[in-house]
Amino acid sequence: MKRFGGRLSLASVICVAVLGTGVMAWAAEPIVLGVPTSLGFLEGKESLRAVKMAVEEINATGGVMVGDEKRPFAVESLDIRDAAPGVPVPDALLGIEKIILEKKPAALLVGPFRSEALLAAMDLIAKHRVPMLGTIAMSPASEAKIKEKPAKYKYIFRLCLNAKYLVKYLAGSMAFIKERFGFDKVYILNQDVAWARKTAEITTQVYFDKAGWTVVGHEAFPTGTTDFSSALMKVRAKGAQVILPIFDMPQSGILVKQWNGMKVPAVMAGFISPLAGPGAWKTFDEKIGGAVNCNFEMGSAISSEKMEQSVEFLDAYEKRWGEPIQAGHGPAPSYESVYVLKEAIERAGSLAPDAVVEELEKTNRTGVMGQIHFDEGHQAVYDINPKTAAVAAVFQWTSDGGRTLVFPPELAAGEIQLPEGLKPAK
Amino acid sequence: MLIGTAIYALINSFILALMAMGFNLTFGISGVANFAYGAFYVMAAYGAWIFTHKAGLPYGVAVMLSIGLTTMGGALMYRFVLMRVRGQTLSEVIATFGMGLAILELFRYMGFVGFEYTLPNLVEGSVFFLGVYVDYQRLLIVAVGALMVVGLWLFTRFTSLGLAFRGIAQDERTALTFGMDPDRIATIAVAFGAGLAAIAAVVIVPLGTISPEEGYDVLIKALAVCIIGGLGSTGGVIAASFLIGFAERFTDAYIGSHWTMIVSLAAILLVLAVKPSGLFGHQKELEERI
Repeated sequence: MKRFGGRLSLASVICVAVLGTGVMAWAAEPIVLGVPTSLGFLEGKESLRAVKMAVEEINATGGVMVGDEKRPFAVESLDIRDAAPGVPVPDALLGIEKIILEKKPAALLVGPFRSEALLAAMDLIAKHRVPMLGTIAMSPASEAKIKEKPAKYKYIFRLCLNAKYLVKYLAGSMAFIKERFGFDKVYILNQDVAWARKTAEITTQVYFDKAGWTVVGHEAFPTGTTDFSSALMKVRAKGAQVILPIFDMPQSGILVKQWNGMKVPAVMAGFISPLAGPGAWKTFDEKIGGAVNCNFEMGSAISSEKMEQSVEFLDAYEKRWGEPIQAGHGPAPSYESVYVLKEAIERAGSLAPDAVVEELEKTNRTGVMGQIHFDEGHQAVYDINPKTAAVAAVFQWTSDGGRTLVFPPELAAGEIQLPEGLKPAK
Repeated sequence: MLIGTAIYALINSFILALMAMGFNLTFGISGVANFAYGAFYVMAAYGAWIFTHKAGLPYGVAVMLSIGLTTMGGALMYRFVLMRVRGQTLSEVIATFGMGLAILELFRYMGFVGFEYTLPNLVEGSVFFLGVYVDYQRLLIVAVGALMVVGLWLFTRFTSLGLAFRGIAQDERTALTFGMDPDRIATIAVAFGAGLAAIAAVVIVPLGTISPEEGYDVLIKALAVCIIGGLGSTGGVIAASFLIGFAERFTDAYIGSHWTMIVSLAAILLVLAVKPSGLFGHQKELEERI
């Protein structure tokens, strides 16, 4: 009997231990964050790393306070390949639905690259009621849908720059070039994808047409183009003084290399994604000096001494992953999106999608990109003062491989310099 | 503008000729349409990049090593895959296409996607010529292209191996009676084709970037040139390269960049409809085949 009692006690202890462990495990059940994006592309890869870094930082402090318990974040990612040429939008949607159904995420971060995929995914996200904080796709069309049917599409937010704000930054840079050098003839070269076409169109309508510029030529290139020689000859033939490039494909850095090799007498100022990071100098054989490039968010491959958090973020990233950020679009808002979500969950005290969305709308956070708050289309507001809005960064590659921040004026460390051999018009 | 476009069209023609030469050589001699050709091109470029950036080898050594290994890859593909299905055209196409897909998608799976994957110019600088700047790398492509054409012509006429190539290409059974081993010659032909793809890659890639998509693009361009010129015809490859090369650049300059990609495909359709054997091809006409 005594022996039986001893065994019973032992079994009880084991049961309590097992149950106890189970209860503890349940108490620490992670909050899953889904990251469905194009992981094979630089922006996707580095955005995922930025998300993981923020999650590690938050988990190191005990996690997220949901009601009265602290829970850690966990990241589940999936490569939806929407940025690759030829991948149909429905394939990307299948990936997004797969991660929602299989991983049951509390929120989706980063999201599709192509606005075509984001727009198509909005119904899917609304159906499953999963908050999404996108940091790559840029077409303002998604905001229009949210404004049109807020009850349905309220789950979708965007922290990165959109095409409208990019236009504002490009127009600001162009105005500066016009005022300083007297240039007023521009040639627009853009990638033949929705956001780039829209950016070129809006920049022409709201700035060039109204500010006394002449658009002497405009060409769209299919994704994957590697020879820009004909277009550059046209730039020279038509006497353009400024080239406005708008590209996010890996091959687009070649445009600047060709511009340099063909000694085209025009300032190259716009957005070319491969030119964003410090590694571009070596990659493009040190032939990108003079090019002016807009990084979509402060903290994405560039920092300002006047914004301490952006410097700390880049340093922490390099320390964590062993290499600096090279993508000028994605990493900073992806990092911030985790903190924005954390704060919203803590304010809501729950993971209920509608409660979280309600708190996301009230976001007021100062971070790596400046001050973050959303407008009624759930787009983070961008401007030129980091104390009142998020900011992007325009910089110029110098002839010795450095990068000088030239816009916005509040953060500028120098002024745009003309490439060798090019004279001002005034 | 016209002269500048013509100069760049000439360069583009040599690029296309270089891209197609290996595919044409392999088909002309062994009869194998190597659909893994684009993958060999990309493999050579990635190889040179890996040997330079990961193994720390000097660039010249990396390039030679990459060309050598790609050539060997072609020989191994014939020996271990194609020899078993030799003579069954559909099986050959499926096997080579499958191999090509596997190679390209493996690179994608391993994360070899991004702007950092490019090769440095072999020669730096540019020259002002007839009102337009042309960089030395492009002139090198023209020189290498011209050298390859002359070299291949001399090789197939004045070396015993080259003569064996021609013998097999003309009549495999008769060549067999003269003691030539068709499988040995075909192995060398596929290896040569892969090697030529590798040479094309190391001189052309510095003008762009390396990506798995480039493999599909190169295959389409090589196919377009060979089909238009006539499969197996070296003269046809040269003529078709110039035809497409000029058409692409003039379309680009005077119609619009987004129409350029359509030029090659439209040219294939047109030639197939009008002269199915290609401009210089010797494929039997329809009535002969019936």
